[in-house]
Amino acid sequence: MMSQEVLVLLKKGRAYASRTKYKDALVFYEKALSLDPKNPETWYLRAVVFIETGRITEALSSCDRAIALDQDYADAWSKKGQVLYNLERFEDAVSACNRALTMNANDAAAWYIKGVCLDELGRYDEAEKAYDKSLELEIILDIEADKKRSLK
Amino acid sequence: MKTQMPLSRPIRRFVKQTEALLDSELILRRDPEADPGGTLVDMYSYNIDKNVIIIPTHYLGLIKDFIIARQCMHLLIKGAAAKKSNYQVCSFSADSVLRGIRQIYIDALKDEAKKNKKLPVKNLAQMLIFLYSKFHDDINSLPWTPITNASVYYQVPEIRKTEIYYLIKEGKLGMDDMAESEEIIPQRYFVLNKSMHYARDQFLAKILLADELMPVLNIPQMKKFNHLEVKEMLTNRWTYTSWYQSKVVGDNIHHIMENYLEKIDWTAEPSLDHFYEIYQQGVNMTNHFISYMSMKDWFVWDTPKNMLEAQKRKKEYEIMALKTIFGEYVGQVLPDSLKGKL
Repeated sequence: MMSQEVLVLLKKGRAYASRTKYKDALVFYEKALSLDPKNPETWYLRAVVFIETGRITEALSSCDRAIALDQDYADAWSKKGQVLYNLERFEDAVSACNRALTMNANDAAAWYIKGVCLDELGRYDEAEKAYDKSLELEIILDIEADKKRSLK
Repeated sequence: MKTQMPLSRPIRRFVKQTEALLDSELILRRDPEADPGGTLVDMYSYNIDKNVIIIPTHYLGLIKDFIIARQCMHLLIKGAAAKKSNYQVCSFSADSVLRGIRQIYIDALKDEAKKNKKLPVKNLAQMLIFLYSKFHDDINSLPWTPITNASVYYQVPEIRKTEIYYLIKEGKLGMDDMAESEEIIPQRYFVLNKSMHYARDQFLAKILLADELMPVLNIPQMKKFNHLEVKEMLTNRWTYTSWYQSKVVGDNIHHIMENYLEKIDWTAEPSLDHFYEIYQQGVNMTNHFISYMSMKDWFVWDTPKNMLEAQKRKKEYEIMALKTIFGEYVGQVLPDSLKGKL
């Protein structure tokens, strides 16, 4: 159970990250970790910031920490897939994406990374299927986002 | 290429090709405030030493890739022209702003004479500024969208499914553009705006003729388009709009578009010469649009650097134009955006 203090820190960190102010976001995530190093979400959010700032090795270890704390953390597996793609470990990336997709089959990003990696591995038919699935989900998200915008 | 974003192989290849042709690095960045179609901030238009494409953060996969491809295409066209020392944009001067705003004012008065409920003078003044700016923005962007879309369609065929979805969506936005202002703006300008969007859709419908709208996808909202060709989608829906009675204008603009764009070999080997040829046809087409719409003296072709300078003085030019039209009453009609600048 996350303490109120950690919740507030993560909220602030996410707010900074959403505005691409990653350095500031990291400060809050590190503070949250110092209070509660066993919260998988903090490790995941930290991984996201590391990916965006090109610190790929640190991103991988953050993903692994999150997964070690919660083996069924779909988002962490999905992000690990992206990290492994950046490290050009395409087979491992496909495995991580597959793991993510068994828990959340509607993860458009995981399907996309899977498609990209399968393409790199020369498995073109499988890549096309993954891309198609990714596009389908992206379109659904896009249509829903447009609906929300038009209601505002 | 500088980015932390994953990119599909065809897009990575295309970005690298763009960098090689232009001999400059491309930075890809995400921003939550970015325009839905992405934003190109390039060294040919601004006083910077690199090219940056900014993509909305909520696009993560293939839609992101298509936006990057299209902006790369635009960059190639600009870069090819700049390398021939011939890159120009539709800019404006104090005189051209006055001419444009005055013409809109005259047309507005003709429309107002027929209405029972007149537009308040202050709103009229605001509408003059809005319409001139709108057409200036549109004349710098709309002619290039069929060009960049057709180029991407042929040069990056792997992204076609995504492109078709995006163009259908974008076409709908174009149809709805200025819909809320239909009762306020002079009929002539509403028709011209719709005509440009209509012509673009007609042209793209021809390019995408044989493509079906993603029959493999299972999205409920897209199911009604099963076995429907893109051409039917992009053309038939215009028949239900109120402006359709003015189809003649739209068909004429489409005809102008065809005359220039059919000269382009879309499948040619990508080279600076090829993209420069595309640029020249785009400029010629834009000039013909301007002439057809009787806006010949509204704009001035100039370097991007001079247009940036003109942008800094835009409010000043708008006030001068309104002063000329409204004389001593200008203080009473000045829009809020210009108050304090008088």
